[in-house]
Amino acid sequence: MKRQFLSSVLLAAFAAAVIPSAFVLAQTGTPAASKPSPAASKPATGASKPAPAAKTAKPWTGAKTPWGDPDLQGVWNDATSTPMQRPAGKGEAVLNEEQADQFAEQLANDLTRDRRDGGNEVDVNRAYNEHWMDARRLKITNDRRTSLIVDPPDGRMPPAVPISPERQKIRAERAAAAARFNAGMPNVATELSLPIRCIIRTDSPPYLPTIYNNDFQIFQSPGYVVIAPEMIHSARIIPLDNRPHLGPNLKQWLGDTRGHFEGNTLVIETTNFRTDDGTVYQGANPETYKITERFTRVADDTINYEFTIDDPKTWTKPWTAVIPWNKIDPKEQMYEYMCHEDNFDIVHLLTGARAREKNPALNLQPTKR
Amino acid sequence: MGSRFWRVIIPLGVAMAIAVFSLTALPLAGQQARPARDASVFPAYKAPRLADGHPDLNGMWQAFVTANIDLEDHEAQSGPYPELLGAYTGWPAGQSIVEGGTIPYKPEALAKRKQNVANRMKADVSNDKNWHALGDPEMKCYMPGIPRATYMPYPFQIVQGTSPYILMAYEFATATRTIRMDWKGEAPTDTWMGWSRGRWEGDTLVVDVTGQREETWFDRAGNYHSDMLHVVERFTPLSPYHMMYEATIEDPNVFTRPWKISFPLYRRTEKNVQLLEYKCVPWTEELLYGKFKKGTK
Amino acid sequence: MRTTILCAAVVTIGLIVSNTTASAHHAFSSEFDANRPVKFTGTVTKMMWVNPHAWIYVDVKKPDGTTEEWMVEAGTPNTLLRRGFTKASLLPGTVIKVDGYQSKDGSLRANGRDLTLPDGRTLFVGAEGTGAPAGPAQK
Repeated sequence: MKRQFLSSVLLAAFAAAVIPSAFVLAQTGTPAASKPSPAASKPATGASKPAPAAKTAKPWTGAKTPWGDPDLQGVWNDATSTPMQRPAGKGEAVLNEEQADQFAEQLANDLTRDRRDGGNEVDVNRAYNEHWMDARRLKITNDRRTSLIVDPPDGRMPPAVPISPERQKIRAERAAAAARFNAGMPNVATELSLPIRCIIRTDSPPYLPTIYNNDFQIFQSPGYVVIAPEMIHSARIIPLDNRPHLGPNLKQWLGDTRGHFEGNTLVIETTNFRTDDGTVYQGANPETYKITERFTRVADDTINYEFTIDDPKTWTKPWTAVIPWNKIDPKEQMYEYMCHEDNFDIVHLLTGARAREKNPALNLQPTKR
Repeated sequence: MGSRFWRVIIPLGVAMAIAVFSLTALPLAGQQARPARDASVFPAYKAPRLADGHPDLNGMWQAFVTANIDLEDHEAQSGPYPELLGAYTGWPAGQSIVEGGTIPYKPEALAKRKQNVANRMKADVSNDKNWHALGDPEMKCYMPGIPRATYMPYPFQIVQGTSPYILMAYEFATATRTIRMDWKGEAPTDTWMGWSRGRWEGDTLVVDVTGQREETWFDRAGNYHSDMLHVVERFTPLSPYHMMYEATIEDPNVFTRPWKISFPLYRRTEKNVQLLEYKCVPWTEELLYGKFKKGTK
Repeated sequence: MRTTILCAAVVTIGLIVSNTTASAHHAFSSEFDANRPVKFTGTVTKMMWVNPHAWIYVDVKKPDGTTEEWMVEAGTPNTLLRRGFTKASLLPGTVIKVDGYQSKDGSLRANGRDLTLPDGRTLFVGAEGTGAPAGPAQK
C-alpha cells in the first residue's frame, strides 16, 4: 500500500513537471516566429514553457552566440540504456536512487555484449564485444526515468490506429523482406533496410540512441543551426529566417526542416518526407506524419532533446520523448562514417544467399547443445 | 538628284558615321582602354567579419567550371549511350583550371590514368579485394574527396560559427567535411573526404588536407593520386558574391612536382535558396549489386 | 525493496530501435551461422579501418601446412578512434585469436565475436604490442 502511494506521488510530481510541456508540444498551430535577438546581456525569457524534468533546480542561463542565439555548438552524444517505453505493468515514472541503481545494473547486464551465455543463437547476435560499442549506452538517464517517452504519462506509445489495406500490404512486404534478411536470403539489394543500404541511418529524425556512433555535431552561424549526425555524414541545415518549407513536390529522405528559437529552446519542424517505406518512424504515414523536435541546453554539458510525433493515421494521439544529449568534445571527436563506399556486407549477403540457393547442403542444421 | 548632291551627302554620311562610331568607342574618363573582366581588377575587398574578427565565409557557394569532367582542357563530347539518350548524355567543353595547363605526372604514372579512363564506367564489386579497382567513384556515388567536391556541379554550404570547427556540407551524396581549426593531431585513419585542418592567413582560409582515401579521383578523366596526397586549399573572399579558390596538390608517388588549380566560387543568391538532397546511392544499386539478385544467371 | 519494474520485458524492449525495423541494426545471424562457431589463431595481414564494418585479414596456418586467408568482420572503427586508437594500432604481423561464427555460405569469413591476443588480453584496450593508443586527437 505504502509503496503504491509513494509511486503515485512520484508519478504525480513527474507528471506535473513534464505533462504541461508535453501538451504544449501536442498543440497544433504555428508557433510564434521569433528572430534571433541582438546580443543581450540577460538571457531572453521567451515563451513560458517549463523545463523538462532535469536534475538542476534552476534553469541554466548559458552562453549565446555573438549574434544572440542560444549556443548549442559542440559534439554531443545521446546514448542511454533507458528504454523508449516503460516496461509493461506497474512501474514508477522516476526511480529513487536505489531503484535506479538496480534498474541501471539490470539494463547494463541485458545490453552488454561481453556476455557469452545463452547459447550460440544468442551469442552470434551479440557481436561484437564491448570495445566496439558505445559505453554510454549502458547508463540510464541522470534523471532516473524509466522510459524516454514522457507523454503519454504511462511512458508507452499510444495505441495504434487501424491502418489502410494499402499500408498493411506495405508492412507485410517489409516484414517478408525482413524475414528473408534474417534468414540470410535477401532477394535483391533494394529490399534491404535503408540503414543497411546506407541511405539513411541515425540521421533520420527522430534521433534515437543506438549501439554506437551516437554522436551529433551542432554548428551554428547567423540565421542557421546545422546538425551533423555521425551516421551517415549528412548535414541537417536548418534556416531560422521564417522562410516557407519547400513546395509539396520536393520531397527528401530526411524531409525539410525549419526552425526558430523560443527562448532558450530551438524548435524545429520537418515536413516533405519521401513516401518510401522507412523514411518516417516505424511505418507511420509520411503524408500525415508531423515531427517537432526541441533542443534546450539545460547545463554546460547537457542538451535536452525532446521530440513529439503526431500521426493520427498511425497513433491515436501524439507522443513525446525526451533524451538527454551529453557533451563529449573536445576530449572525443566525431569521425567520418563512410558507409556506401565500403559496404561489402551487401555483396556478402546477396552472394551468400545465391550460394545457398544453389547448394542447400551449405545450410547447417542447428546442433543440440 | 545630281552628282553634286552625292558629293556632299556621301562625305557627310561617312563623317557622321565616323563621329557616331567615335563617340560610342570613346573610353570612359580617366581610362586608356576597357580592361578585360578579370577577377584581379575587382577593387580590393574586405569581407564582413564575424565577432572573432575573421572573414565571414558563411553561405551557399558553387563553382561554374567543368573541371569535374576533366581538370585539363576538354572538348564537348558525347557521354554514355548516345544511341539511347542523344544530347541528354553529352558533356560540355571546358578550359583547364590547372596552372600551366597540364598535370605534371611522372611518365610511368600516366599509364594508370589511361587505365582509369578505360575503366571509368565499369564496376565489379564481386570480390572484396578489388572492390574499388574499377569505375569512377563519382559514378558509384562515393564521396568525392577534396578538391573534387569543390568543383562538382552542385552547391555546397559553409557553416562558420564560433566553435573550433568549420563545416562544409556538399549537395552531392550529402557529403560533409569538418575543418578542424588550428588543430595539431593527424588523421587517425584515412577517409573519403580527407582530414582537414584550417587556419587563417589574413583574409584567406587555408585548409591543409591529408589522410584521404587513395580511391578518390580528381575528375572523370581518370586523374588520380596515391595515399600520399596532400592538398592545401585557399579560400579568399573577392566580393560579396564571389570567393577565389586555389588548391596546391602534391603527391610524390604520382607527380613530378606540386601543381595548382584555381577558379572562383560564386555565391548562390536566389531567394530562399537551400542545399537540396542529391542522394544517389539508390541509383547505383542495380549497377553494383544487380548481378547478385535472385534469378540472375 | 525489490523493484517490480525490473522484469524480463526489459530484455525484449530494452534495445533502442532506430526509426526503421529492428532488423536494421544488423541481425548478425542473417549472415553468420550460429551452427558454425570458429576459433583460430592467425597473423594479421591487413586491417581496414572502414565503416560500416572494419575488416581484419588473418592468415591461418592449417595443420597440413597450407594457409587460409580469413576475413574477420569487426565493428565500427569510430568507437576505437574516439578512444585514441589509429590505423597503426593493429599492424600486420600481429598474432591474434579469433572467436566467432563463420559465414553461412561457408566462405572464409567470420564475425569477430571476440578478438584477443594469444595470452588472452583483449585487443584494443591499450594492450602492449598492438600499439598503445597515442591519446585522443590533439588540438
